[in-house]
Amino acid sequence: MTPPGASRLPSPDEPLDDVDFGLLGGIREMFEAADPMPADLPERIRFTLALRDLEIEVARISAENDLAVAARSTEQSRTVTFDSDSLTIMIRIDANRDGTVRVDGWLAPPQRRDVEVKTSTDSLSAPSDEQGRFAFARIPRGTAQFIVRPAGRGPGEAGRSVLTPALIL
Amino acid sequence: MAVDGTGPVVVRASQPDRGARMAGLVSQARAGNEDALGQIVTELSPLLWQVARSAGLDSRDAEDVLQTVWLRLVAHLNRIHDSAALVGWLVTTTRREAWRVRATIRKQPPADHQLLDELADQRPGSEELVIAGDQRRALWQAIGQLSWRCQDLLRIIAFAPRPDYAAVAAALGMPVGSIGPTRGRCLAKLRALLADPAESPA
Repeated sequence: MTPPGASRLPSPDEPLDDVDFGLLGGIREMFEAADPMPADLPERIRFTLALRDLEIEVARISAENDLAVAARSTEQSRTVTFDSDSLTIMIRIDANRDGTVRVDGWLAPPQRRDVEVKTSTDSLSAPSDEQGRFAFARIPRGTAQFIVRPAGRGPGEAGRSVLTPALIL
Repeated sequence: MAVDGTGPVVVRASQPDRGARMAGLVSQARAGNEDALGQIVTELSPLLWQVARSAGLDSRDAEDVLQTVWLRLVAHLNRIHDSAALVGWLVTTTRREAWRVRATIRKQPPADHQLLDELADQRPGSEELVIAGDQRRALWQAIGQLSWRCQDLLRIIAFAPRPDYAAVAAALGMPVGSIGPTRGRCLAKLRALLADPAESPA
């Protein structure tokens, strides 16, 4: 036993007690302040899950740039590149004057596909041409996610659907 | 000076209730209930965020990893029947995926351990923090003296819902006692440091 007055060092083998829980609570507060999970992340994950399809390939963002559009400082333009195992998707996002955004995209390798963009309120689709180009003239701002599906009726060319992470347009 | 229990009152979590609730959500999610799946996502993502971040990923990669892990869970749900299995699977899969991403995508040094130094510089007195400024500073300093492994383990465990400590500890490779999670080396060391800051580092 511990002699009276000596501070007893807690043993690693004891069950957690209230002091431990208090310390863990303090650690949690520290990291909640220093490195909080983005508050909207669970919502964006739920959005992705609602679109799931087990035949789907998930792309990840591999590059993102804000383009300085020369001499037109009010216009914002941004490019985002997504990579999956089979496909690279590059999109350029430009603001429209009416508050929506225009998206021009390219698929590599170039191929005809059906490209769909899902927003929290809407779903739009557009085909890509044989150079892999596609365009959406007007997409509402907000969370959006792109899904590149196999082209409607091409024989052979099955291909899996590729899903991008949700991003904020 | 030890951090005492003057913060939120520590109430024993009602383990059976939460376990039953989570098991119920899992079985509803398996049956295709999106809302049940969404509740699980909301409840456990903060823990998984810390798992991914403590593996050294930047925010964007951590987000990608969480998206991947949750999608993968859906395909795996039919093999998960209780809360402990769910949390254990999620933590293990998030860690592995985070390590894989770090190895393939980034070639940067391991976890960003400057975070604690930055924290130590923060102004005291953020009112939201429950523990008092002096105690908080002492806690930061003590944690900064622990090994990186201990810092990462404690950071993750601190975000586990309490009834899931044992499952998370097991997923992280920490010993779990027969009656539940034991304090472990890292918390014991932390308490020793708080009791006597001159204690040599772990």
